[in-house]
Amino acid sequence: MSVYDFTVKTKTGDDKSLADYKGKVLLIVNTASKCGFTPQFEELQKLYKTYKDKGLEILGFPCNQFAQQDPGTNDEVQQFCKLNYGVTFTVFGKGDVRGETAQPLFKYLTAQKKFEGFDMNHPIAAPLLNALKENFPEYLEGDGIKWNFTKFLVDRNGEVVARFEPTTNPADIAADIEKLL
Amino acid sequence: MVKVYSFEGCPWCVKVKKYLQSRGIEYEVRDIELSEEAREECERISGDLTVPVTTIDGKNFVLGFDKPKIDALIANA
Repeated sequence: MSVYDFTVKTKTGDDKSLADYKGKVLLIVNTASKCGFTPQFEELQKLYKTYKDKGLEILGFPCNQFAQQDPGTNDEVQQFCKLNYGVTFTVFGKGDVRGETAQPLFKYLTAQKKFEGFDMNHPIAAPLLNALKENFPEYLEGDGIKWNFTKFLVDRNGEVVARFEPTTNPADIAADIEKLL
Repeated sequence: MVKVYSFEGCPWCVKVKKYLQSRGIEYEVRDIELSEEAREECERISGDLTVPVTTIDGKNFVLGFDKPKIDALIANA
């Protein structure tokens, strides 16, 4: 079994087989559906622009299972939301990524690559951990997706080679992507 | 007529709408996700696709849930 065995829903509700991406390097990301963590959206777009001609595809899966805002940045957070039309990589239909209702693709990805903790040096790590403990303590158990912008790197053969938590900026994945291209 | 450019799932947009309601101000919702026309208007007004954008004349606008600025926008109308 590989990621190519999965079919997902496009924005317009059509089926899309991941087998269509055979031979590409994939970065599969659960994105915030609208607000919050937008710097990661911008960094993902930069990665896409840099590497798409070499064979990188970024597949975004919007999900609103997580709170709409960045945790811990309530004071300085800009009080508006940016429509994700600014990105040119593929954004699929909205769906769940954790728990019983998670899309099968995400059940597979999280079974392939376990949760190994947040990078506590990242500025978002401490507030994120606190927000989870306070609001969604059950999210911290097991290997399920913890928050928006969990990233899975898939090689050209469909093998899931790495998982990056929200506490890894997309820009810091560049070297790992280059190795696979 | 006050126009609020917004999309579903934007909490700040909800706050702007609720605030206008609390002040008894009628407004028209322009959904920039569902309507391409609204999307183009929003970009023309604010130069971006960030919302909520509140405007009356399509020139002066308030980005975000900023009560004092919304008050001023309405007062000057």
